[in-house]
Amino acid sequence: MTLLSLNGTVPGNWTMIGDDTTPDEGANVAVTLARLKRDMDETLVRAGAIGVIIDTETPYTDLAPYMNKLSFVGIDFPAFTDGRGFSLAVRLRKDLSFKGEIRATGHAIPDQALFLLRAGFDSAEVSDERTAAFEAALSRFASFYQADYQGRSSIAHQRHKEEPQRKAS
Amino acid sequence: MYAYDTYDHALVRSRVAEFRDQVARRVKGDLTEEEFRPLRLMNGLYLQLHAYMLRVAVPYGTMSADQMRRLAHIARKYDKGYGHFTTRQNIQYNWPKLSETPDILDELADVEMHAIQTSGNCIRNVTTDQFAGATADEVADPRPYAELLRQWSTFHPEFSFLPRKFKFAITGAATDRAAVKWHDIGLIVRKNEVGAIGFEVLVGGGMGRTPVIGKTIREFLPEADFLSYQEAILRVYNEQGRRDNKYKARIKILVEAMGIDEFRRQVEEEWQRIKHIPIDVPAEEIARINAFFAPPPLPVLEDTVSAVDALARKNFVFAAWLKNNTNPHKVPGHVNVTISLKPHGGIPGDATDSQMDLVASLADTYSQSEIRVSHEQNLILPHVAKKDLPTLWSDLDKAGLGTANVGLLTDMIACPGLDYCALANARSIPIAQAITKRFDDMKRLQDIGPLKVKMSGCINSCGHHHAGHIGILGVDRKGEESYQLLLGGSGAEDATKAAILGPGFDEHGIVDALEKVVAVYLGVRKEGEEFLATYRRVGQQVFKEAVYDAA
Repeated sequence: MTLLSLNGTVPGNWTMIGDDTTPDEGANVAVTLARLKRDMDETLVRAGAIGVIIDTETPYTDLAPYMNKLSFVGIDFPAFTDGRGFSLAVRLRKDLSFKGEIRATGHAIPDQALFLLRAGFDSAEVSDERTAAFEAALSRFASFYQADYQGRSSIAHQRHKEEPQRKAS
Repeated sequence: MYAYDTYDHALVRSRVAEFRDQVARRVKGDLTEEEFRPLRLMNGLYLQLHAYMLRVAVPYGTMSADQMRRLAHIARKYDKGYGHFTTRQNIQYNWPKLSETPDILDELADVEMHAIQTSGNCIRNVTTDQFAGATADEVADPRPYAELLRQWSTFHPEFSFLPRKFKFAITGAATDRAAVKWHDIGLIVRKNEVGAIGFEVLVGGGMGRTPVIGKTIREFLPEADFLSYQEAILRVYNEQGRRDNKYKARIKILVEAMGIDEFRRQVEEEWQRIKHIPIDVPAEEIARINAFFAPPPLPVLEDTVSAVDALARKNFVFAAWLKNNTNPHKVPGHVNVTISLKPHGGIPGDATDSQMDLVASLADTYSQSEIRVSHEQNLILPHVAKKDLPTLWSDLDKAGLGTANVGLLTDMIACPGLDYCALANARSIPIAQAITKRFDDMKRLQDIGPLKVKMSGCINSCGHHHAGHIGILGVDRKGEESYQLLLGGSGAEDATKAAILGPGFDEHGIVDALEKVVAVYLGVRKEGEEFLATYRRVGQQVFKEAVYDAA
């Protein structure tokens, strides 16, 4: 398994720990959402930075109470066709102003690399034999019709040399 | 027409290169068929019963003569010399080789065409009124907004892996020729009291096994908020649409389950949060796109042309063609001409390479090099001067394209059915051929009057049977093809669901049953009353008795 950076930032080193494992003092750990809810203020205070791995069924609002404590969110794709993962990343960036690392785990395929990046993912867990295809997919397109969650503006805005400003209401 | 700039060209060329690589990886075995499937589908490539099928987008049904010539060339070089125009205003090729599909896409890219998102669980080709920008009865040309939707929905980072496919239709006219109420999102261009453009937005319409007519979610959406509102709808759907059962995954099921009021509340709440972030394009971009759709500079001509009237008096077929196949234009002395792809006994929607070439050259001569495809599977030459009609008709007629049946019983929609389609339960084409042969009599057809017959070879409803004045649905009954008859549907502004009349028929019985329905109508109609109006007035029972009691 290769940990691939989508946007050039260095992926963090997070150890996934079981729901009943006490983290080492100061260790960077990732836990399930259930564990996070249960132990955020208990055993998890020992840890260094804390991450959570969520499935695509998770409502993004479940993460809201932990925003100032979380450094990492892994979104686990049960199937690459489950597009809820993309909306979850968008929600984290847009509605929860999450600044930490978002990683795609589970079943994502190389052809989704740019979709992941543009929806706000920083990194992806990729099988070794697919790393090259994933990396190639990242440079496939130069511009897109939509603004993305990495700060790049849409073709429509680029056409008019306009900074993507907020509309006056 | 819209013309690509360097951004559009780069995007489409990059997509061709990507698809070429995907095909190569699939051939090498680096991609499994399961993984390749959604990727090829998002590029319009299906695996059908006998071969691959490539669906090429004709964005909102508008194309140039040069683009049509390229479609003819592709039919000749890569297929068996024909193509099939669809109810999504696209064209399908039935026999391409997998290894050659990247080359076809390169040929399409040369003329600013593609097959992006013509299938798959993503936002599909946006459809519209085939007379958009040319019809006398519209508020504004809807195509600039369709182009905005095309760009916004292409490779959307968030909405490319939806629970199920997603279809937009937009109209700018009071008469709905785009079936907007039958789409996941339907849009009607409106002007408010100060003359500003906006949109009525409908959501949750769709056919398939659960036919639902779309509901108005917003009466007036300002032009400046056009895309952000769609984004809010799509986000609510992407997050909450069902993914456990593909038959319940369309947005119509979510809207029904939630109720339109709750769905609207959630959409409005999300929209308020996103309407100010740069989703909508700058006003300059709307102006830039609008400029491509400026009406052609047509001279105002005499509306009455004596040579046309004279020919109509002495030639019954021309008179019928003039009446049925032309539609009023904005500019006096002009019409929009519909070229019927429904020759009696032919395959609905099919055109040969030489017919496509002919239509392209006629477009160069008579219609400002512009061509449209209608969701009723015909081709349109917009902006034709009335004085040119006799020569145009004669040229069309010689090529087998002069059938004068537009809007009549034999102008029927039919899907490819079991002759091609892997999803079909029954054949459609032979039934359509039998029906159009049975009614191969222009005087009889004229007497019957406007009547929309729509046929699907399975419950997926590509042939719009739910919206047919008369609908036919092919099903599999214990291994036999069986055809159900439905009456009273409408795809227009008065959208209604057709109702099943009773037990199904075999392939011969369905034609007889349809003929009985027509006979009942002719017997009970009032002076000048069209089929649908009669059906609505008298109800189902009288038809049911005639069809089943005699049997």
